[in-house]
Amino acid sequence: MALRRRTLLAGGLAAGAGLTSGCAGKPLDSLLTQAAHVPRTPATLVWWVSEIPSRNGPVVADLIIRAFERRHPHLRVRKSNALSTTDGNRAAVTTQLAGASPTPDVYLGDTTWPAQFGANSLALPVQTLLPKDYWSDYPAALRRVSEYRGAVYALPFFTDNSFLYYRKDLLAKHGLPVPRTWEELLRTARRIQRAGDAAYGFLWQASVSESLTCNVTEFLADAQAPVLDDAGRVALSGPGAERAFALMREFTETGVTPRTVTTYAEADSQDAFTGGRGVFLRNWSYAWGNAADRSVSKVAGRVGVVPRPGFDGDGPRGVSCAGGWSNFVNPNSQHLGAAVAFARFCAGEEAQMILLKHAGVIPALDDVLTRPEARRVGDPTLTRAKELRLVARPVQTPYYPQVSKALYTQANAVTGGRATPAQAVRAARADIRTALEGRAL
Amino acid sequence: MNAVTSSATVPRSPAPPPAGPRTRPVPRGGGPARVSRRKRARTGWFFASPALLTIAAVTVFPVLFSVVLSFADVRLEYGGFRLLSLTGDHYAAVLSSPEWRHALLFTFGFTAVTVLLELVLGTAAALVLERLGAARGWVLAVLLLPWALINVVAAQLWGYLFNGTYGGLTWLFEQILGHQPDILGQPASAMGAMVVVDVWKTTPFVAIVVLAGLMLIPGDVYEAAEIDGAGAWTTFWKVTLPQLRPIMAIAVLFRILQAFGIFDLPFVLTQGGPGTATESLAILGYKTLFQNLDIGRGAAVATTSAVIVIGCCLLFLRVFRTQADEGGRA
Repeated sequence: MALRRRTLLAGGLAAGAGLTSGCAGKPLDSLLTQAAHVPRTPATLVWWVSEIPSRNGPVVADLIIRAFERRHPHLRVRKSNALSTTDGNRAAVTTQLAGASPTPDVYLGDTTWPAQFGANSLALPVQTLLPKDYWSDYPAALRRVSEYRGAVYALPFFTDNSFLYYRKDLLAKHGLPVPRTWEELLRTARRIQRAGDAAYGFLWQASVSESLTCNVTEFLADAQAPVLDDAGRVALSGPGAERAFALMREFTETGVTPRTVTTYAEADSQDAFTGGRGVFLRNWSYAWGNAADRSVSKVAGRVGVVPRPGFDGDGPRGVSCAGGWSNFVNPNSQHLGAAVAFARFCAGEEAQMILLKHAGVIPALDDVLTRPEARRVGDPTLTRAKELRLVARPVQTPYYPQVSKALYTQANAVTGGRATPAQAVRAARADIRTALEGRAL
Repeated sequence: MNAVTSSATVPRSPAPPPAGPRTRPVPRGGGPARVSRRKRARTGWFFASPALLTIAAVTVFPVLFSVVLSFADVRLEYGGFRLLSLTGDHYAAVLSSPEWRHALLFTFGFTAVTVLLELVLGTAAALVLERLGAARGWVLAVLLLPWALINVVAAQLWGYLFNGTYGGLTWLFEQILGHQPDILGQPASAMGAMVVVDVWKTTPFVAIVVLAGLMLIPGDVYEAAEIDGAGAWTTFWKVTLPQLRPIMAIAVLFRILQAFGIFDLPFVLTQGGPGTATESLAILGYKTLFQNLDIGRGAAVATTSAVIVIGCCLLFLRVFRTQADEGGRA
């Protein structure tokens, strides 16, 4: 028996040593050397990509893959279909990456991931592989969210911008202009609701999820209240932050927004709007396609879209959270050079034009938005994208999920009437500080 | 299960000796007999080892590795992860965290309420089912439908009913209350909704288990109670319930284990909200591990949850055994 115990112990120790030291790190320099050259030998890449909304039928990812393969005949790209939700996607891809899986070689990820993925060595830092002026062609906010401590962990693909959708017919019926401020929107919505022309005034997203963090980021930017300062410390406080939180409360208190908004994600608010129940909707650019589609929208042809309003006074207007998806390179890829080449191709003009013509998203490359093709597509979210003031979420920290949770938890409480704006701001500030110290779960 | 129940009602009889070649006694003593026994044992281990290794790989190893991770300083690096040193920091962080305490409280509350309700309703349903004649099969099949549904599908269906815009239940409550209720948007109603869904889904399981117990109670026990002049209530409290106790204990044990690990309902219905009102330990562990990418603390949440639920089950069994012993002496 003693022998057996010793054998078991030795076996256990050997297995433990294998588990802990068998996954030793690789030097970054050698990875970057490999990544700097596109191989001349045949290789097949795996691209982890969720469904890209299509404007006119074809599978957008396939079009991009075919275009890349034409440019690099010895390289092949195979799609690995990712989940449609951001969190589900992150859980699935990090499970693979943390286990040092060489695939996927390239993965499409949310613009909130770079700091967290960079800090955990789940993405290759690619700044040394890019020309110095690389980012001059892309929105500055996209660059900010793609970087962590001076390193670039994501290459741009497409952005999600938010807009205010409105019912043209209802505003015309009441002889009202499209509101330019939140105060005006509240008055307009109430008037139309009182007349019985719509059940809800303003639809947005306040469920406990990243959707609400995007909304809060925008309201805080409207009120010129930052969440973090330039040094990455918590800066959320003061009348500006309270004004933003008070607006969220006012929407539900006055009945302009239904109280059930505290359970709304994007799809819920969009369904209510396309079902003809709302006057205004805050949603991403892709909602235009659904709102204009007669097969799914009761209000098709009666919808207009403008940049979001701001607060009364000198504050900014047309603020939009810098959402979207970028390509990350798996540092454990066996084909690093080809993977970087593919991620750069997706950010380049040819792939961005494919997005412009065929996808219901906004290409990240600024230049393509001003092309005649952009006007021909007939999507106002494309032509108006340049008018927006993109604001980044406080993603410059590897603890962003905890920071986001602190924001959406308190914003949800204030919207649902369970906390006053002042209480919610104080609690969010305390929770964000705990998160930044790495103490929050 | 049957053995537990029948042991209380049917006198044990000695098991008949197994028939066939296996009845041949294994020779005892040293020498060739001992060698033969060892050889047989080795052959046995050889044939059993694939199954044992599979079980170890899919259950024992992940559990043990999760415990190791919860005590390790885990660092993700290019080329994988590394366990740097042993640490108790993850447990210190988890146990001192208000989020963990809140999740523990919610999970305890949810488990206690749902298991109690399911036990009461399941027993009531089983008593009705037992008295049904030919229709029992059909009723049983209908009753089992919620139990047969995949949890996520059931949660999604209820999510549509509770939906604030077009949900059937929201509309119904709006007609009754005169205003649109925010069922999943307020802590109390969100928790209530979750309890309703779980009870709807899992009561059939308890009913089936209890029904099996009821059918094993011998009829002469009831006849004796009737001769003694016991009424329906007395018969239920003094005869049926004590006889059902062992099988109910098993049902409760299963339900505690399942309810304590509640994940899919809050994940689909509320994502743990409003605020963190319906954030269970499993949801917290998931968020810590897969959203925060904090492997050590995520593993610590999982391990503490497992230890607590095992402790609860052992405590429950101990209390149950003590009560059963006292009942037996009485």
